[in-house]
Amino acid sequence: MKTADPTGGPHTVPASFVPGDALLTCEKLVIGYDGKAILPPIDLTIRRGQFVAVVGRNGSGKSTWFRTLLGMQPPVSGTITRASAQVRSAYVPQTSAIDGLLPLRADELTAWGRLRGWSFLWPFARKTDRQAVHSALETAGALPFASRPYRELSEGQKQRTLLARLVATEADLVLLDEPTAAMDAVAERETMQRLCTLSRERGLGVVVVCHDLEVAAEHADVLVFVDRETSAFVVGDARTVFCHPAFRRQYGDEYCQRAPLGPHRGNDAR
Amino acid sequence: METTLAESSKWEQFHLAFDLFRDPLLCALIAGGVLGFLSVYVVLRRMVFVSAAVAQSAGLGVALAFYAAIHLGVHVEPVLGATALALLATLLLMTEPAKLRLTRESLLGLAYALAGGAAVLVGDRIAQEAHDIQGILFGTAVLVTPEQLYTVAIAGAAVMFIHLWWYRGITFASFDRTGALVQGLPVRLLDGVLMVSIGVMVGVCARALGALPVFAFSTLSAIAALMLELRLPWTFFVATLFGAIAGVGGYLFAFFYDFPVGGSQTVFAAAMVAAATVLRMLVHARQKAR
Repeated sequence: MKTADPTGGPHTVPASFVPGDALLTCEKLVIGYDGKAILPPIDLTIRRGQFVAVVGRNGSGKSTWFRTLLGMQPPVSGTITRASAQVRSAYVPQTSAIDGLLPLRADELTAWGRLRGWSFLWPFARKTDRQAVHSALETAGALPFASRPYRELSEGQKQRTLLARLVATEADLVLLDEPTAAMDAVAERETMQRLCTLSRERGLGVVVVCHDLEVAAEHADVLVFVDRETSAFVVGDARTVFCHPAFRRQYGDEYCQRAPLGPHRGNDAR
Repeated sequence: METTLAESSKWEQFHLAFDLFRDPLLCALIAGGVLGFLSVYVVLRRMVFVSAAVAQSAGLGVALAFYAAIHLGVHVEPVLGATALALLATLLLMTEPAKLRLTRESLLGLAYALAGGAAVLVGDRIAQEAHDIQGILFGTAVLVTPEQLYTVAIAGAAVMFIHLWWYRGITFASFDRTGALVQGLPVRLLDGVLMVSIGVMVGVCARALGALPVFAFSTLSAIAALMLELRLPWTFFVATLFGAIAGVGGYLFAFFYDFPVGGSQTVFAAAMVAAATVLRMLVHARQKAR
């Protein structure tokens, strides 16, 4: 399987890729609002180098799970456990989430990735931070437009800037909320390939909310289908998910018929 | 010729009585500068009407302080009343309105209308201080007491110190809240520092200069700076500069042309926006011509 290397060249993903250590584990995690569950209890482990794509219709509970994982919403019950206190998380918003009015250059936005905890108490960027930002921009292919205002960039360039910020965080676990929204098909595929490669090369655990089922199936090791209506939280490879009755009820049989047999790349996340 | 004589006479008056004008000018310089700096957050975070509601609440705070002194015999420093009510309004506006099934605009409308209406009612019962109340709401006060100047200077220095020191954290938490949360920044604290800074500065400045110019400094300075399409740090710097210029320029304009100070400062701040817009158009025209 060929994917694009973040620096632009082709990169071969090992077919026998095996995800590494656990980064984050959801145990009997019940999510919802005001103490009311909206999905069945979730048991899921996200590992190093694993690419998890979350799919489901609008209002299905994807965002609620995502917000709970991010620590922005308390769970109804159950636990979310990080493998260790050293596990770093990063969040990549949609390109449109960064205000178009904000007069920020791509490299300045990337530099935010170096802030963690109380590190802002040191008022100036350290030399190591500046080097890390430069290196991250290079890795994400964002160096040519690093000094341009973020708002003037194309959707693909904005996404590369956000990926540079992600690289700059040196995070272990990355959560992305519809990173390819508002992108054309080519930019979307390119972004997913970059993410995939970053995940493999740097051992990142990646969880991405995605609306394009085919792109999700093509790149993810594990698919998660969320459906509040049928109270379903299905975890598995593309075939397992696409052929699940709850999925077929929402999307029909077409995806099941076309889904590849067996796990696409990685192992079951459970 | 007559105009020239009148103008030179005004300059002479200004020069002779500079000791009298020094404090209000310094106060306008500091208030305009610090509020100009904060205005970048106010505008970019879409909080323009937060500033209006907080400034209005500060006016109510002063009116209540006068009322307490006249009718209840309780002495409360007006600046304390202004700051307390401004902070109270800020805290109210920081609450998550969705919990009450309300939008933030609804809360803003409530705070603005309540503070404005209450200030009128309280003002009606303290007729002897009506001039002061008008001064607070519209900035007609020409003079500033040394206490007011010290209060504005100390509050301004404290706000600028913490904001320059925590610049990286406050900007990140302000403009990408979720990202900052996930990266472990104390977003609630940083947000709190920003909101309290706005509340305190609006409170103390509204007492000294009036709610109207305070609202103008805390919004128009950033609008003018953003017109110039500079980098974020420069936007903060230029907004600070524009705020200070509007404060001092407006005061001088009011003195030389016999206009109310608050109105002049407000119009001066608006003129900055117009000037920045023209400059931006010229730059764009030049770029197109190349």
